[in-house]
Amino acid sequence: MSENRPPDPLARLGEEIDKARAERVRRQPAVGDRSAMQQGLGLGVRIGIELFVAIVVSTVLGWAIDRWFGTRPWGMIVLFFLGIAAGMLNVYRAVTGVSGAVGYRPPNADAAAAKSRWDDEDC
Amino acid sequence: MAIEIQPLEQFKIERLIPIHIGGVDVSYTNAAFLMTIAVVLVTALIVLGTRKRALVPGRWQSLAEMSYEFVADMVETNVGHEGQEFFPFVFTLFMFILFANFLGMVPYSYAVTSQVVVTFALAAVVFIGVTIVGIVRHGFHFLRLFVPQGVPVVLLLLLVPIELLSYCIRPFTLSIRLFANILAGHTMLAIFAGFAASIGLLGIFPLAINILLVALEVLVAALQAYVFTILTCLYLSDAINLH
Repeated sequence: MSENRPPDPLARLGEEIDKARAERVRRQPAVGDRSAMQQGLGLGVRIGIELFVAIVVSTVLGWAIDRWFGTRPWGMIVLFFLGIAAGMLNVYRAVTGVSGAVGYRPPNADAAAAKSRWDDEDC
Repeated sequence: MAIEIQPLEQFKIERLIPIHIGGVDVSYTNAAFLMTIAVVLVTALIVLGTRKRALVPGRWQSLAEMSYEFVADMVETNVGHEGQEFFPFVFTLFMFILFANFLGMVPYSYAVTSQVVVTFALAAVVFIGVTIVGIVRHGFHFLRLFVPQGVPVVLLLLLVPIELLSYCIRPFTLSIRLFANILAGHTMLAIFAGFAASIGLLGIFPLAINILLVALEVLVAALQAYVFTILTCLYLSDAINLH
C-alpha cells in the first residue's frame, strides 16, 4: 500500500492493529446494537424472577420475625406488603435502567463521566 | 414396554468419598467433583492458553484473551475504572459459573448450579463482599444508599424499610435465578427425553423438541453466567460509585 512502511514485521503489525482499532471505534454503533440486544436479553431474564422472589423472601422473613417475637400475624402482613413494594421497586429500576439502588446513574455514561462524578463526591 | 425415567434423579447427590469429621458430613460428592473439574478446566484454559504469550494468538490463547476482555469490558462499563481492582474476583466468578453451567450440559455429568446451596454460597459471597467494600470505602455514608434524597421525613419511615428489604433480597434473587433456570431446564430435558423413550416411533417429535431445548439450554447456560456476573458488577458499582 504505502511505500514508507517500516521494514520490521512487528512494527508493521502494530501499525495494522492501530488501523483496525480506529476502524472499530468508527464502527461503534453496530457493535452497540449487538450489545444492546445482549443486554436486553439479560434484562428480560433478570426481571422475571425479581418480583416473585421479593414477595416470597420477605413473607418468609415476616413469618420468622413473628415466631421470634410472638407478634403473629403482624410481621408477616407488614413484610408481605413491603416485599411487594421492594419487588416492584427492583423491577422498576431494572426496567428503567436505573439498576441498583437509589440515585444510581445509568452505567453507559463513559468512564470520564464516571471519573468526574467520583471526583465531585465529597463524602 | 415401560421405561421409567425419573426427571429429578439427575440431581441426586452421591458420596464419592465419604468423609465424616466430628459428626459433620463433608463427603466428597459428585457435585464437588464437577466443581473441581470446572476449576481445573478454567485454570488450564487460562494458564495453558496464555503460556506461549504469542503476539498473534492461537486458538486457545484467543479464547483466554476473549474471555478476559469480555469481563474486563463488562467491569469497565458497569463499575467504571476503579472497579478494575475487583476484576480478578468478577472474572473468577464468571468463568466458574460458565464452566459449571456448560459442564452440566455434558451428558451423564452433573449440573452443579442446579443446587441452591452452591448458587446461594456464591451469591452470599458477592453480597457480603459488596457490603464490606461499601462500608470500607464510605464508612457510615454507605447507609445513605437506603435513604432516598428529597423525600419528606414521614415517607422515609416507609421508604427506608423498603430500600433495606430490596437490598437484602439481592442474594436471594441472584441465587434463585441461576439455580431455578438450570434446574427447570434440566428437568424439562429429562421429561421430554422420557416422552421420547416411552412412546415408541412417535417419539421422534419429543426428540426433535429436545434437540431444540438443548440449544436453548446452552444459551441459558451462557446467559445465566452473564446475568450473574453483570449483577455482581452493578452491585459493586452501587457500593463504589455511591452518590
